[in-house]
Amino acid sequence: MGEGRIVEAFIGEYASGKSENAVNRALMLARAGRKVTLVDLDLVEPFYTLRPIARKLEKEGVRVIAWETSETMGLGEAGSVLKPEMRWALLAAGDVILDIGYGVHGAKILNMLEGVDQTPELKVYAVINIFRPMTSTVDAIVEFVRSLGRVDGLINNSHVGEETTIEMVCQGARVVAEAAAKLGLPVIATSALKPLAEKIGPRDCVGNPVWPLQRFMDASFW
Amino acid sequence: MADKPIEGEKKAFMTGNEVVAWAALAAGAEIMYGYPITPQNEIMHYWTRLAPKFNRKFLQTEDELSAGFTTIGGVLAGKRAFTATAGPGNTLMQEPMSMAEMMRLPTVVVIQQRGGPSTATVIYSQQEVTMTTYGGNGEGLRIVYSTSNHQELFDYTIKAFNTAWKYRFPTFILGDGYQAKMRESLTIYDPEVRGIEMVPTTPYVLRPGQIGVNREPNHLRNTYNTEEELYEVLQKHISAYNEVAPEIVEYQEFGTEDAEIVVVSHGVVFRSCKGAVQELREEGLRVGYFRPITLRPFPGEQLRKVAERARMLLIVESAYGQLAKLVKDAIFGCSVRIEGLFKPGVGITSEEVVTKVKELL
Repeated sequence: MGEGRIVEAFIGEYASGKSENAVNRALMLARAGRKVTLVDLDLVEPFYTLRPIARKLEKEGVRVIAWETSETMGLGEAGSVLKPEMRWALLAAGDVILDIGYGVHGAKILNMLEGVDQTPELKVYAVINIFRPMTSTVDAIVEFVRSLGRVDGLINNSHVGEETTIEMVCQGARVVAEAAAKLGLPVIATSALKPLAEKIGPRDCVGNPVWPLQRFMDASFW
Repeated sequence: MADKPIEGEKKAFMTGNEVVAWAALAAGAEIMYGYPITPQNEIMHYWTRLAPKFNRKFLQTEDELSAGFTTIGGVLAGKRAFTATAGPGNTLMQEPMSMAEMMRLPTVVVIQQRGGPSTATVIYSQQEVTMTTYGGNGEGLRIVYSTSNHQELFDYTIKAFNTAWKYRFPTFILGDGYQAKMRESLTIYDPEVRGIEMVPTTPYVLRPGQIGVNREPNHLRNTYNTEEELYEVLQKHISAYNEVAPEIVEYQEFGTEDAEIVVVSHGVVFRSCKGAVQELREEGLRVGYFRPITLRPFPGEQLRKVAERARMLLIVESAYGQLAKLVKDAIFGCSVRIEGLFKPGVGITSEEVVTKVKELL
């Protein structure tokens, strides 16, 4: 994990697993005794955001910047505004994990944050699930990732929910690795649900580190 | 450019709205007309992302009235056209769909129900049942499929195009915000590999030939002069509907042979009810379920048989008795006790259903 500050933004296709990966990454860091701020930057989608699970994550030692449902009005009708703390989140001490919502603007939301230029540690990771038809092939992933703007690495999060097999994760790892090579980007990790991750072991079939995922987002529908 | 949106079949992980867009592509829909409204927006978003890749078209209109009428325009021109909406958009959609009903036009509308009345919530409900089955100023000569999961959303969206074009009645897929936004796996496929043949479309206006010389006029009317004239046309439409209804009706039942209580539900709520009934059966309790898949035409005769055997029907829905109305109408005269678990605009868990059934047993 290293000693330096970790600042990561998770972006990707709709329902690709951005939030689940961001939450688990924040927890992974918190459990290693690091100070972590997790920021909900989903300004579009009123569903599956961090709001409903913010308190639970705070109990696990992660500082969460997200709207409280009671503070909002007209969610999903009018979009959300940026909470002032979100704008300044990159300047927080310690590690920062940004969960960037879906939408066609990809990494452009970073333009709304202060301190991007002063944060050389910032890495933008695109989460890819090859079982989502929009990112199911090498070419489709390349085209999609190029549309996102700045991306510094890919995360293979290929799955079909509870029916996911080791072979499916491996198939994802191979496709994502090929796309990453074409894009000149590293593959940061393969993420998979904990029981499956344990079966795969610390490295996947192409040698990527495996991040075990604990499900949080299923409790955050609204 | 790929020839077919889906080659063969494959496992996929998606949200319900994306499923609808892929199903419409796979069904050979040529154009979508639409106006944005949550929670159906991603049907449009994905359609517009995918349409150019597969030579399909999209028109964003100024509102849902226009989206409905342009859909009819597309159909009249011989295109496999569709639209999607929710809540207040569905309200506006009733005017054009009444016209389609009057003219006997095949239209496909996907509804992702949200909370009501009015703008209410963008999230979820089953409060658009009455409006989707019997909305508009007519007799409800429509076909309404109520889906409960992503596989069904895919299967029935494809089927809706064939039902509409085969029978020429406005056809609806009735989903909801939960199904729209939920993520789950399903198998997507090219209908051809499953032996599904798409009913060909044909233009209703500007047909080849010359009227009076080598073809009859195709007189599509939504305006009539006298009461009798309208009455005669409606009689024809109503008997045509009643005639095909038995072949359209779809439902599922389980444990109804010996059930004391039969849980009646539709759509996503059926998932909770199915889980609850399975759990109660495992405990040895005589509980069954009945699930209409078509809310219009309603599987009335089938439910009546169940109601005549059971002691009680428990109707469970995320609305204040809209499914219950359909049920009561279908089994009128039957002496079965009817109870309800009505939670308008709110989801219902299988635990709640289990608790309610145990209270009633």
